[in-house]
Amino acid sequence: MRTVRLLLAALILASSSSAAAEPLQHLRLIAPAAPGGGWDQTARAMQAVLQAAGIVHTSSVENIPGAAGTIGLARFSSGERGNGDVVMLSGLIMLGAVVTHQSPVTLREVTPLARLTGEFEVIVVPSASPFRSLADLVTAFRANPESISWGGGSAGGTDQILAGLFADAVGVAPSRVNYIAYSGGGESLSAILGGQVSVGINGLAELAPQIDAGTVRALAVSSGIRLPGLDVPTLREQGVDVEIENWRSVVAPPGVSAAERERLEQIIAAMVASSQWRETMAKYRWSDRYLAGPAFARFMATEEARVQGILARLGSGETASSSGPVGRYPLFVLVGVVVSAAFSAGGMIRSRARAARMGAAEHGAGAGWRGAALVATAAGVDLLLLDRAGFVIASTALFWVTARAFDDAHPVRDAVCAAAMSVGAYVVFARLLQLSLPAGVLAGWL
Amino acid sequence: MPETLSLLAEGFASALTWPHLAWALAGVTLGTAVGVLPGIGPALTVALLLPVTFSLDPVSAFIMFGGIYYGAMYGGSTTSILINSPGETASIVTAIDGHMMARQGRASAALTTAAIGSFVAGTVATVALTFTAPVLASVALRFGPAEYFALTMVAFTTVSVLLGASVARGVFSLFLGLALGLVGIDQLTGNARFSFGIPQLLDGIDVMILVIGLFAVGETLYQAWRQGRDEEHVIALHDFTGMSRQDWRRSWKPWLRGTAIGFPLGVLPCGGSVIPTMVSYMVERRLSARPEEFGHGAIEGVAGPEAANNAAAAGVLVPLLTLGLPSSATAAVLLTAFQQYGLQPGPLLFSTRPDLVWTLIASLYIGNAMLLVLNLPLAPLWARVMLVPRALLFGSILVLASVGAYSLNRSLLDVALLYVVGGIGCGMRILDIPLVPAVLGLILGPLAEQQFRRALAISQGDYSVFVTRPIAASLLLCAALVLVAPLVFRRGQGAAAS
Repeated sequence: MRTVRLLLAALILASSSSAAAEPLQHLRLIAPAAPGGGWDQTARAMQAVLQAAGIVHTSSVENIPGAAGTIGLARFSSGERGNGDVVMLSGLIMLGAVVTHQSPVTLREVTPLARLTGEFEVIVVPSASPFRSLADLVTAFRANPESISWGGGSAGGTDQILAGLFADAVGVAPSRVNYIAYSGGGESLSAILGGQVSVGINGLAELAPQIDAGTVRALAVSSGIRLPGLDVPTLREQGVDVEIENWRSVVAPPGVSAAERERLEQIIAAMVASSQWRETMAKYRWSDRYLAGPAFARFMATEEARVQGILARLGSGETASSSGPVGRYPLFVLVGVVVSAAFSAGGMIRSRARAARMGAAEHGAGAGWRGAALVATAAGVDLLLLDRAGFVIASTALFWVTARAFDDAHPVRDAVCAAAMSVGAYVVFARLLQLSLPAGVLAGWL
Repeated sequence: MPETLSLLAEGFASALTWPHLAWALAGVTLGTAVGVLPGIGPALTVALLLPVTFSLDPVSAFIMFGGIYYGAMYGGSTTSILINSPGETASIVTAIDGHMMARQGRASAALTTAAIGSFVAGTVATVALTFTAPVLASVALRFGPAEYFALTMVAFTTVSVLLGASVARGVFSLFLGLALGLVGIDQLTGNARFSFGIPQLLDGIDVMILVIGLFAVGETLYQAWRQGRDEEHVIALHDFTGMSRQDWRRSWKPWLRGTAIGFPLGVLPCGGSVIPTMVSYMVERRLSARPEEFGHGAIEGVAGPEAANNAAAAGVLVPLLTLGLPSSATAAVLLTAFQQYGLQPGPLLFSTRPDLVWTLIASLYIGNAMLLVLNLPLAPLWARVMLVPRALLFGSILVLASVGAYSLNRSLLDVALLYVVGGIGCGMRILDIPLVPAVLGLILGPLAEQQFRRALAISQGDYSVFVTRPIAASLLLCAALVLVAPLVFRRGQGAAAS
């Protein structure tokens, strides 16, 4: 395996030496998840390894969280088109999310680079559960599918996919799986520990400490063969023909040139071959699943088909519980807004009428709106200039116009403070804290 | 217990070395600064600092992170009190009475009671963390969706003290928040609701946008509007003295009550820091001899919630350290930090790496003390911010607010949304519609709905789960009592008077 990897790296290096792009100084990694999430972890691990091994000069991680990665995907494919210095983390979860959230952008639009890591899933039950083995679970599940509640990560994610594949393999219609989606591993883990759900599905890394401590009982692991150091039988061993792993990969934006793509692939190959990467994987208990080039593209296509198939049969978007109060709550809220607005308006009209009757004088009605209108203008100017002219110019304008709304006696003082504040904020946030604000036209000076 | 004390002593011995103290100082200073800034929270700060700490040893890094975490809880109250622009959800409630105190010239007293309350709460809660963590963690595990739903119902009842003069307007604000909470992906099914095809709205409207927009931007617009309208100027704020004896007398019980409320609620991952602070505010108001002062500068309304939010911050560490369960965004980042060092927080962390855990806990005590020392003398200095010309003050607020909004997702849409929400906030202020119920609605609405449907899904449609499970039933009863009690009490008073 390692030989294959090294050969591949050498081949890539050799083939690209003829039409190589310049060596990359700064690599940007985009994690389509919040800090602390799986992709964020992987991106930061990559960042550490790339810098420690000297593969790139510097690198940065940007987070674009939301909707299980589909928001990041949408912004990546439209906003980073043609940029050869940025990659995004992706994986099986994103394939599922694209289906579940009906994302207009799919993974076919981005440039696949390589699969990096894999993590197997474990099916566990609370330690007080009556299910002592997978066979017990299968029996109870076949007898009354809906009575088994499955706790795992977000809808459309690897955990739900495994639940669906499991049901299929034991002869239960996937649409009868009572899957309870939790946002993130922490929530579903506490549900399992607390015995709130009958069965839990989660990644090995999250569950390993709990399994070691005996707080949960592991019934099966989703790998093809038993994992070293883990005394848990596989699904296949116990007669359930399912194998799945939560793989993570890196992709490049659409529209990058062949030379740039090869440069990125080289960087990834070098990272994977480094000793720091091996240490990192051991630390996080990730499996090395490096696969690049056309083989990876083929793998993605196969996985996409599998995920689409099972999610469709799970009734992706329809769980056993969704017929029920789904539509009632939004209706209740909207009715509430309208009714309370009506009452409030009534009350306001009445008190206005009472004040008028008692002859209360109207203040200079125009004067107040001037101030508010100026601030509103300041906001508009800021929005217009932020992307085009950069943060510093936009904020200077924002500050200055706002200051005018309050006190138009000191235009010069206000302008000086505006500039100072904007530059200061830029230096502190964008340079010191690495927060990434648009530099705009002043990019050269800052 | 003696074993715990000796372990703690070892932790102190390790934490009280000069390098570790320096890291603690760095952490608390950075944390306070971060807490002051709108939108930049401890979670993001710790995440940004992770690469910087790659080369540090784990103990130093965690001491710094712990300092940042606690420090942010201290810093958040400063902007709430001074300029009615809470920087974190934890400080929203502080703004209600805190800012009124500032406008009455008592900014220094407000900041002081917030700092001392935070210290008391932080210390007591850390003590509780030290000795009761495993027990509390196992109790927390008994909370399932039905219990969380009941808890959100209790939280909703706190709105009753925020309705202000007009019940209809307060309720409208609440429903507005609930409506905004409808936008986004439905957790249970993955379907998008009310996102109008805009991908950025798939994740819903970020509560920070609502908070910064309604409070910081809305306040700016409103003050600009009032600038020309009436000639009432800001009261001369020359009173930079601290708390009077009466202030101390009125504060110490809310500090303790706030801690008692905040810590257990912090252990439960539900609604972040809004629920503990709201419940504390409501309790203080109900127990006060002068309830009519609330909303107009009652010091209890600052002391209680500020204690509650610091205690809740310590509470969050309980499931993280004992079970490896992150119950807040910051906790999730801290978990990542643990994993980066090859540590796996979980049931075994206390036994496999006691040195790290106890040093961290010891440094929390130390950090807390440092924060008090840092913030007390700063209170009168901060209060002088009120003297900065309003033009410059509000200009700065808007610039910082735009950074806060942009930093969430690096998206222009968030900044645009911020300004729109600001306009709405200004309108609400003009029409005398309270702002806090809207924030409550946005946070609690999706939470309550999700937990309700989850409970039903697990019970397969059996509604009785809400009354047969003891914790859920008692919480729902609590909520009902809270709502009904004032009515009964008032009628009883009326009967006695006549």
